Amino acid sequence: MSLRLQPVQVATGSDDAESQLVFADGFLVAVLVCLSEQHEADAGKWFLEAGFGRVDDLNAPLFADVDEAQGWIEQQLL
Amino acid sequence: MAILARHVIATMRRLVREKGARGIMTDSTSEASGNPFLRKLERFVPLSDEDRVVLLKVSENAQAVPARTDLVQEGDPPAGVFLILEGFACRYKLRANGARQIMAYLVPGDAGDFDVALLDAMDHSISTLSDCTVVRIAPETIRDLLARPAVAAALRKSTLVDEATLREWLLNVGRRTAVERLAHLFCELHLRLSAVGRTDEYRFKLPLTQPDLADTTGMTSVHLNRSLMELRRQGLIELQQRHLTILDLPRLRELAEFKAGYLHLGDQAAA
Repeated sequence: MSLRLQPVQVATGSDDAESQLVFADGFLVAVLVCLSEQHEADAGKWFLEAGFGRVDDLNAPLFADVDEAQGWIEQQLL
Repeated sequence: MAILARHVIATMRRLVREKGARGIMTDSTSEASGNPFLRKLERFVPLSDEDRVVLLKVSENAQAVPARTDLVQEGDPPAGVFLILEGFACRYKLRANGARQIMAYLVPGDAGDFDVALLDAMDHSISTLSDCTVVRIAPETIRDLLARPAVAAALRKSTLVDEATLREWLLNVGRRTAVERLAHLFCELHLRLSAVGRTDEYRFKLPLTQPDLADTTGMTSVHLNRSLMELRRQGLIELQQRHLTILDLPRLRELAEFKAGYLHLGDQAAA
């Protein structure tokens, strides 16, 4: 399995816009959003805005960077 | 964490046993108008002077309980009824992964279920969210209260309102957007706190954290933060130093489709 990222802007209704679509073997499995300054201490971390199939998790952690998020997504897909 | 929880429960039970050790004795004349339990029940049913004296006496053995202390945990045998005189407490359940859902707030004047002694074990936990003043009402005192017809009727009505509120919260998490959920919660708290004299017009103390609000409205802390910002951006609320000010109540109610009937507060609900 290989993950592929595609940068996008997501209309979250907030300042959080910088995002990445995450594809696994060509399928969209997650949308990651980078948290803006409005989240203060969490600004710059990555949030699982949406996860599909096995990546769906209401209690996913925040990720320090995209690599960490990809590692977590890979674990979910194992 | 489990050890800590057991420790705080043991501490609470010891405090409850040592009645008066940290008890808060209050002047009964000033208390009559300020006691939130009495204020709440009198709103439901007219009470006699004798009923009022009995209800005020219930509040005499109040204890100061720090924030984030479990009063009773899921699975425990019921330990009487907890009445909140000051602060915010909640009913909650935990998932195995630690995720928490808050099912109800207990604000001043609110108590647990008066029929809880019928159950063998608690099906949920009750915890303080902020520093609280709490009374544990013993089972024998509950029996005495329920033997007074007007008091019993007021307590039953209070239970009906708790159930109606739970239905409204279910509608909230199931069928409202994040911003609407939060707007609805703030409209409700404004009325409930106003009914027990804990508001200054449109401003009230909201001693809750963002994770508390997120666990109440069934959303992540990220969505909670965005939703608070959106309500601010629309000029509907201001939240500073744990005080919430509703800047435009009609618009906040319109956004939430808030109809106060389920709180059964009478005329005040329309205010």
